[in-house]
Amino acid sequence: MIWLTWRQFRVQALTAATALAAFAILLAATGPHLASLYAASGITGCHGGSCVAAPVAFLNQLQATSPYPIVYLLGIALILVAPAITGIFWGAPLIARELETRTFTLAWNQSITRTRWLVVKLTLTGLAAMAVIEALSLMYAWWADPIGKATGLGASTSVFNGGRFSSLIFATHGITPLGYAAFAFALGTAAGALIRRTVPAMAVTLAIFAAAQIAMPLGVRPHLIPPDRTIATIESVDLDFGSLTATVVPGQPGAWLISSGAINAAGQPVSNLPAACQAAFSGPKPSSPGPCLESRGYREAITYEPASRYWPLQWIETGIFLALALALAGFCFWWLGRRRT
Amino acid sequence: MSAVIETDGLGKRYRRQWALTDCTLSVPAGHVVGLVGPNGAGKTTLLSLATGLLAPTAGTIAVLGGTPAAGPAQLARVGFLAQDAPVYAGLPVADHLKLGARLNPGWDAGLARGRVDRLDLDPGQKAGTLSGGQRAQLALTLAVAKRPELLLLDEPVASLDPLARREFLADLMEAVAEQDLSVVLSSHLVADLERVCDYLIVLVGSRVRVAGPVDELLAAHHLLSGPRRDPDKLPDGLEVISASHTDVQTTLLVRTSGPVLDPAWTMSEIGLEDLVLAYMSQAAGRRRRDSHHHLEVQK
Repeated sequence: MIWLTWRQFRVQALTAATALAAFAILLAATGPHLASLYAASGITGCHGGSCVAAPVAFLNQLQATSPYPIVYLLGIALILVAPAITGIFWGAPLIARELETRTFTLAWNQSITRTRWLVVKLTLTGLAAMAVIEALSLMYAWWADPIGKATGLGASTSVFNGGRFSSLIFATHGITPLGYAAFAFALGTAAGALIRRTVPAMAVTLAIFAAAQIAMPLGVRPHLIPPDRTIATIESVDLDFGSLTATVVPGQPGAWLISSGAINAAGQPVSNLPAACQAAFSGPKPSSPGPCLESRGYREAITYEPASRYWPLQWIETGIFLALALALAGFCFWWLGRRRT
Repeated sequence: MSAVIETDGLGKRYRRQWALTDCTLSVPAGHVVGLVGPNGAGKTTLLSLATGLLAPTAGTIAVLGGTPAAGPAQLARVGFLAQDAPVYAGLPVADHLKLGARLNPGWDAGLARGRVDRLDLDPGQKAGTLSGGQRAQLALTLAVAKRPELLLLDEPVASLDPLARREFLADLMEAVAEQDLSVVLSSHLVADLERVCDYLIVLVGSRVRVAGPVDELLAAHHLLSGPRRDPDKLPDGLEVISASHTDVQTTLLVRTSGPVLDPAWTMSEIGLEDLVLAYMSQAAGRRRRDSHHHLEVQK
């Protein structure tokens, strides 16, 4: 059965290996120079003000140097899209193609039970999908490590603007790609079994997986661990005066800022700059409205996840997708046991 | 005589449609059994239930005394060739044999290779580019080289041209003779089966209309023709399967255990095809009468 699985899968496996190799060559060709730029940037061993200026200078230099911005964005896009591709091209046809071409009558009448057939197919192909996508992620993490260090110090540019908690970075680094890969593959297989036709199953897989990829950072991830709350003084916060939201969490370097907003002395949320403080901002001698807000007893309410929760969150998110993948695989076995082909 | 397939009140429903209802039959071992019936009689459903590709909605089915597809051992005992002989279009002939060898502990590699050589199949050729006849023979090779005790074939020759049909059946009979197999093959055309079957089951609307060894069936059925008369006034021991009348003459297909001694009748032999058609039209006529009856009741 292992032989048959490999025989039916080897073209896809070769395609994946080629793509992986091409990506590896691209990263290996540009990575060392990126690392040398970082070494020369003075970020390592910085102190005081240079820890703010050096990363910014480094990222600005990088953004102006081809091909770093392109490789950076390409890598993220690839790791985000790869699970969908394996779900569509490896998962969806796994059962549906056998039904469509009626070859299941051949496969399921050899001296091997259907359950065993599916165990081997799901395990080998599923593990291959997880391995390929995690390999992409690890290679990319090695390449982008200097950029991550610079953004971790609070620097950002229009391209390199996400810390490791940002939606796209979180889902493409660490162990989450394993979860996304397993989920997409199992989703494709289950959709193929249920719909019984490959192409519609591919479309459904793409739609559901994309929805899950969007729903996770927007609706689910902020609630996985109840976030911490803090009330900070306006003085201590780096405030965006347009919306009165904070841009970093005071005293929590590398924390994930989930939401923030100003509250007045009575604890009521304030969404716009009060009229009294606008004067200071737009008068003949414009100054920051910060002291004005401060003097009126305004505070900043912030919810956040501290940096130490990065790995717990990674494990939970990966666990959720692995559990979904197992449930979908379980559905496939149940479907196969019903025997209504 | 033991049964290779034994069903009792077997039924299969797809959503709301019953494909097979209340089917009770027994297929004896050691025969090449023709399962004949019109399209929609439930032949494919019955064979799919026997392979375990389907699970019954009602009733029971035992194949070689076991539950279909219950485990590797049961799967190894039954070979199946599905309608239109599906094969993996992208895999060459040689890989199909390798598939058979890897997935069947009882695989007879010599038999498989010998068949492929004899049938002139190119081992390197992709199965998707084989002709219909070659594809059927490749699929049959897979089914027989696992050395089953029972071989099930669903409309094996329906999509083949007459020459390929003849070659396939000759090849099948050779395999049967070599291996001491029980075979059940379905068809909606009696002519296909006449040459190869020694046992016949006529299935119409899920019901077994007639079953028995072909020679016994032929010996027991006769065509009677004579002056027109009421079919009810016939000697005892005659079962009328079909009757047709002109103004002066009556022709009857009867089943009888002994000779018909009434000199008014001329008795003649009947072919297998006419016999099967008579049972099929009898069933169709009965159904028509039934539905007519229902209409009257509804009024």
